[in-house]
Amino acid sequence: MWYQIFKFELHYRKARPATYIYFAILFLLSFLAISTDAVQIGGGAGLVKENAPATIATMMGIMSAFFMMITSAIMGVAVLRDFEHNTDSMMFVNPISKFEYLIGRFAGSFIVLLFVFSGMFFGFILGEFMPWRDADKLLAFNFWNYWQPFIVFVIPNLLFTGAIFFMIGALSRKMVVVYSSWIFIFIFYQVALILTREIDNQAIAALIDPFAITTMNFATQYWTVAEQNSQVVGLEGLVLQNRIIWLIVGLVIMIGGYFSFSFNVVRSSWFKSKTIKETKLVNTSIDVPKASTKYGLSTYVTQIATQTIFYFKQIFKSVPFQAMVLCGFSILILNSYFMGRVFGIYTYPTTYLMIEEIQGFNLFFLIILVSYAGELVWKERDAKIDLIYDAMPLLDFINLISKFFGLLLTYVTLLVSLIVLGVAIQTFKGYYNYEIGLYFSHLFSETLTFLVLFTILAFFIQVMVNHKFLGHALMVVFFLFSIVLEQWGVEHNLFQFGSAELGPYSDMNGYGHFVPGFSWYSLYWFGFATLLFAAAVIFSVRGSEAVMKIRWKVGQLRLTRPLAIFAISAFTVFLFSGFYIYYNTTVINDYNNSDDANAHLAKYEKSLKQYEFLPQPMIVAVNMKVDIYPSQRDYVAEGFYVVENPHEKPIEEVHIQLNPDKQFDYEYVRFDRDATIQENLEEFRYVVYDLKKPLNPGEEMKIEFKTMFTTNGIVEGGGSTGVVFNGTFFNSFDFPTIGYAKPLELQDDDDRKDNGLEPKVRQMERDDPRGLVIGALGDDSRGINFEIVISTEPDQIAIAPGYIQREWEENNRKYYHYKMDIPIENFYNIISARYEVERDVMIIKNDTLEKEIDLEIYYHKGHEYNLESMMKSMKHSFEYFSKNFSPYQYDQMRILEFPRYASFAQSFANTVPFSEAIGFMLKIEDEKDVDIAYYVTSHELAHQWWAHQVMSANVQGSTMIVESLSQYSALMVMKQEYPQEHMQEFLKEELNRYLRGRSREDKRENPLAKVENQQYIRYGKGAVIMYALQDYIGEDSVNAALRRYVRDWSDFDKNGRYSTTEDLLGYFREVTSDSLAYLIDDMFEKIVLFENKAEDALYEEKDNGKYEIELTVSTKKFEADSLGNTYELPLIDWVDIGVYGENEDGDDKLLYLKKHKMDQHEKTFMIEVEEEPSKAGIDPLIKLIDRNPDDNVKAASKKEAA
Amino acid sequence: MELIITNLSKTYSNGVQALKDIELTIGTGMFGLLGPNGAGKSSLMRTLATLQEPDTGTIQLGDINVLTQKDEVRRVLGYLPQEFGVYPKVSAEVLLSHLAVLKGITNNKERKELVEALLHKTNLYDARKKNLGGYSGGMKQRFGIAQALLANPKLIIVDEPTAGLDPAERNRFLNLLSELGENTVVILSTHIVDDVKELCTKMAIINKGQVVHQGNPQAAIDAIQGKVWKKSIEKAELEDYKQKFSVISERLLAGKPEIHVLADASPDSTFESVEADLEDVYFSYIIGTATPSQEPVLA
Repeated sequence: MWYQIFKFELHYRKARPATYIYFAILFLLSFLAISTDAVQIGGGAGLVKENAPATIATMMGIMSAFFMMITSAIMGVAVLRDFEHNTDSMMFVNPISKFEYLIGRFAGSFIVLLFVFSGMFFGFILGEFMPWRDADKLLAFNFWNYWQPFIVFVIPNLLFTGAIFFMIGALSRKMVVVYSSWIFIFIFYQVALILTREIDNQAIAALIDPFAITTMNFATQYWTVAEQNSQVVGLEGLVLQNRIIWLIVGLVIMIGGYFSFSFNVVRSSWFKSKTIKETKLVNTSIDVPKASTKYGLSTYVTQIATQTIFYFKQIFKSVPFQAMVLCGFSILILNSYFMGRVFGIYTYPTTYLMIEEIQGFNLFFLIILVSYAGELVWKERDAKIDLIYDAMPLLDFINLISKFFGLLLTYVTLLVSLIVLGVAIQTFKGYYNYEIGLYFSHLFSETLTFLVLFTILAFFIQVMVNHKFLGHALMVVFFLFSIVLEQWGVEHNLFQFGSAELGPYSDMNGYGHFVPGFSWYSLYWFGFATLLFAAAVIFSVRGSEAVMKIRWKVGQLRLTRPLAIFAISAFTVFLFSGFYIYYNTTVINDYNNSDDANAHLAKYEKSLKQYEFLPQPMIVAVNMKVDIYPSQRDYVAEGFYVVENPHEKPIEEVHIQLNPDKQFDYEYVRFDRDATIQENLEEFRYVVYDLKKPLNPGEEMKIEFKTMFTTNGIVEGGGSTGVVFNGTFFNSFDFPTIGYAKPLELQDDDDRKDNGLEPKVRQMERDDPRGLVIGALGDDSRGINFEIVISTEPDQIAIAPGYIQREWEENNRKYYHYKMDIPIENFYNIISARYEVERDVMIIKNDTLEKEIDLEIYYHKGHEYNLESMMKSMKHSFEYFSKNFSPYQYDQMRILEFPRYASFAQSFANTVPFSEAIGFMLKIEDEKDVDIAYYVTSHELAHQWWAHQVMSANVQGSTMIVESLSQYSALMVMKQEYPQEHMQEFLKEELNRYLRGRSREDKRENPLAKVENQQYIRYGKGAVIMYALQDYIGEDSVNAALRRYVRDWSDFDKNGRYSTTEDLLGYFREVTSDSLAYLIDDMFEKIVLFENKAEDALYEEKDNGKYEIELTVSTKKFEADSLGNTYELPLIDWVDIGVYGENEDGDDKLLYLKKHKMDQHEKTFMIEVEEEPSKAGIDPLIKLIDRNPDDNVKAASKKEAA
Repeated sequence: MELIITNLSKTYSNGVQALKDIELTIGTGMFGLLGPNGAGKSSLMRTLATLQEPDTGTIQLGDINVLTQKDEVRRVLGYLPQEFGVYPKVSAEVLLSHLAVLKGITNNKERKELVEALLHKTNLYDARKKNLGGYSGGMKQRFGIAQALLANPKLIIVDEPTAGLDPAERNRFLNLLSELGENTVVILSTHIVDDVKELCTKMAIINKGQVVHQGNPQAAIDAIQGKVWKKSIEKAELEDYKQKFSVISERLLAGKPEIHVLADASPDSTFESVEADLEDVYFSYIIGTATPSQEPVLA
């Protein structure tokens, strides 16, 4: 009998157009997602092929989660349909059992569901064969790569979600409950996502994600490019556990649902309201009083107000709305727990951070907006009260505008609630500096504008298409279309509906210069939206006919004079503000879309690359006068370079690269000798001068210039954040450079390919002689004498490298004169802001010499939290570095806070600009917290040695010298101050950064010593490797090597070239014993990974009260090539073996840690310890690079008495 | 005030011609619009209620052009659609008061009194705080008439108000209607002859989009008085009788068909004379228009 029901179900669905529409949607989207850039879902990065197995699996997982709405529509109605169509009584009187009925319906619907989702399967496969696809980015077709994830991920996802929706539909008998329930599943998924952010929670997140997307990401997070291109995400480990868990949950729901489902008609659904018993007829012959009616402005206002409140209440009372708000609020609260976490450290919950968190709610706003615009437009018709409403003497626009206001009131209420929630979270976190004004000024400008504009759009679409679900779908299509438009190069915000952005907020600079652009764009789009609204009023359906022709006929009657005037004014506002923006962004400023900008860069490279190694003079001195006008966002720089010919032949032509940004203007560039312009490539701002008298080897010459940076009107995209009202920060790259400018080259290989360029060579080979004479900071100089006078507004302090010579006020401007007494790199910053200053002095003792160092922190008022920590770090760092590497070359250090438009710190001579986003606002309170402010300060100070004392040659490995050594230096300083656990915590993050980074590599992974600017290698791997190195060969040995290295390589002229990692590794080898010699190669010259594992740990108590543990561990060692293909290496390695006990608090405590030689895969050790062991293993502190470090340690168990 | 409909025609986009050249003049008082399902009654009602556009024709209510001065019409209109829903989670009192605002009754005190009175009148006062979702069909219909009576309408249109009501509810409802003012144009559309018989002094019969008869109900009955004959027959004979006589109605009486036949004289002795009533009038026109000749039976 169940088979009959099953067959009927299939038959019924076969005739439903919805079945095919769903199939088509999935097919089309999958096809587009995989074969074009227009729709993008998931996808690998870098060298990972577009049809890599893991990529396909992720895309399928995301699709099956995202299209839960389809699952709910298909599975939810399977039983519910009988109730909706009132066929339940006909169904249930038949002689079938509940079991047969439910199973038949479920199986039938599920087969249909599989059919629908096979659209995705076929869409992906077909997409692979499209002729326009780039063969370089595809693997050969492999059916298994599609089939496996469909079986392992999609089908279980469908089973689980299908079971839920099926049962919810059967039990609630309300479609709306079915739809709402997917919101709760969505919450679950979000929770998993939020948890994933913390490394320690990733395994839990991988288990609780019902769609296994997080699980896949977790399983493949450290996969190399080669692995991603060849392996499917197997049904093992966490993936298997996840699948089992959720299938069981699905099954439990089915069983529970089966017992709760009542197989009769009488049982009312969960939400059925009771029928009212009628009272006896009483005397109804009373007179109805006459009420006066009024029509006029006051009536309209009353009507709008009444309607607005009515709709507002209707929205608030609806269950899906409440579910969505609840969901959004819960996610916000949950998210706030991890707010601003960096390396496991909290940031103070400042209001701007809170606002950024609150913007996470925008997704829910969007769902509410799209759904309720539809709901409200259809409100009367859905309740079938439309004919009564439509016959009311209500002006045509009142209904629509009241609906709009109803939603607006909803938004306002939600925004106010979000502010209250934000303040509550801040309070809960112990932060009381509520900036209520800031909350309002963001949420009630940018957020509300976005909501208003898109609400009007949604109303317009709903009215025009006059089909609720089609309207929803069109909104989604509209969003996709905006993205496609951007892909086609239509990027200007004049064509991107609703694009009005306030830009990032900074405590230092507020919303700064973003306000006018935001205001104009808001005005522009309001004008447009108002037109849409007027059109919606004209075309909205009133009465029983919805044919477009009739709507237009009736609409003409509505096009009254006031409405026409209203529309014309809106159009005028739209037109004029659009013209104003156009004029500002493209006439008085320069605008290019990214394709044009890329093409321009490509052209630059094609035309001028020939000059890259042309012998040119080098800058030996810079002398400048810079006048900054922060309020105007302008500056004028005038001064000169002294250049010298370092080459062996005379130089006849000098190539000057002026800043190509059109905001720069040049009054003059002139030489202290006669020169003519041989070629002026205006489009690149590249000028070739012929010197009448060539510049002879060793001869010096002056190049004078005056450049003006001016800001006029609105710049598309917000414009430069270099020169701002408070917190100006720019560097020497603003000024003219000499010769071909390599930094201007197009970076991205895909973009290069599109423009007919070869893939970018990131860095020259390590022994390339051309690279050896160029420093890592560029080829214009090998050190400069530096002098500068900066002027700024009187309430700001202006700072550049060098020591202050004089400070004065003149013409209501402040002047600062700086000069450095020894040569610095040709790399200097210019900063101006309203600062508070924290000062201290320290004394460095070097042998018998004592040196006084001024320490200063220039910070924004209110950002005092970590000054102490930074100051302490400066002292400790200078002490450690001077003692262990070489003396500090300057007698001052200044840290300068700059706005959070960027989040880095950067080291210039005696100057470290430090973003307000990192360090300053960290909340370091717990003893367990790694003090990142301390660490970053130390890292930047280390650059005063690594970069400013020893410059590396601009070849492969240069950033290992600059960055990895700074990581090492900072780690050593931190090691002295903080406990071992902090180091481990920190290194765990760095190891993660490395392993994740290599899985996203877009060219090739290099060994550390040949790193090509890859951040994951120079910072992540650099920190891990350098820490291990000092652990293996000793901190003193490493420092001894570095001392010698600084001694030998701090002067270019001494060796006639800059140093490379080959030089540095030589010093390391000198201090490494023969037994560990293999380490230097493994760590720096190869890519080596370990697979360490604790196999068995058994212990027994000995008679002497000590414990003996029998520990079996295994290890494997691999070498990876640049794509991540691995080969096993023979073992000759010394590896830590460790045993843990517990202290009184139950925390881990190392009882034993010693290096043992692992020369075979598996070894068993007998270790005697003083206390009872709790766990033990191999490399427990994870000093070696291990992709699966969780199994290094195992709980120890007591031996059973034999 | 008079409602004058001239030359009104309407064809829907699916090709169905709903109204054909309707000409009607309706004065104050209760006007019955009688017709079978699908005759075009609701189309006409909706057109009168400004909710639908005719293809041709004009409608004039006093000085108001109904087709272009929609707002003016709506201010004096009370409309009860054939089928309507309510917001299930809103109480009668709240919704009625809300609708009163939309009618333009902005004075709070007046509105409150009016709403109370209407709820009393429709016997919904005790249930006024209850959500409309729990209302029975009759209560909902009474709520419908309450909202139609808001703001002292000059034109009241009630479209099939008694369909689906049980006899008691129907009586109650008709009582309500019967109290509507003399100075108001009240149009009651129905397919139930008794509704018209009990309430209306004037009526029109509409079928297939056309007005097939208009006038006073009693006069129409008088016109066929003595010409209606009945006979109890066997089921098998039915087709045969239909062929031979103009059968205007058939109904089962104790399991056997009883037919009414319209004829100037008794067709034969087996027929009995019956007292003609409005139903016979109605059926005579409906059947008449149904015959290919398009001729009323009594032409």
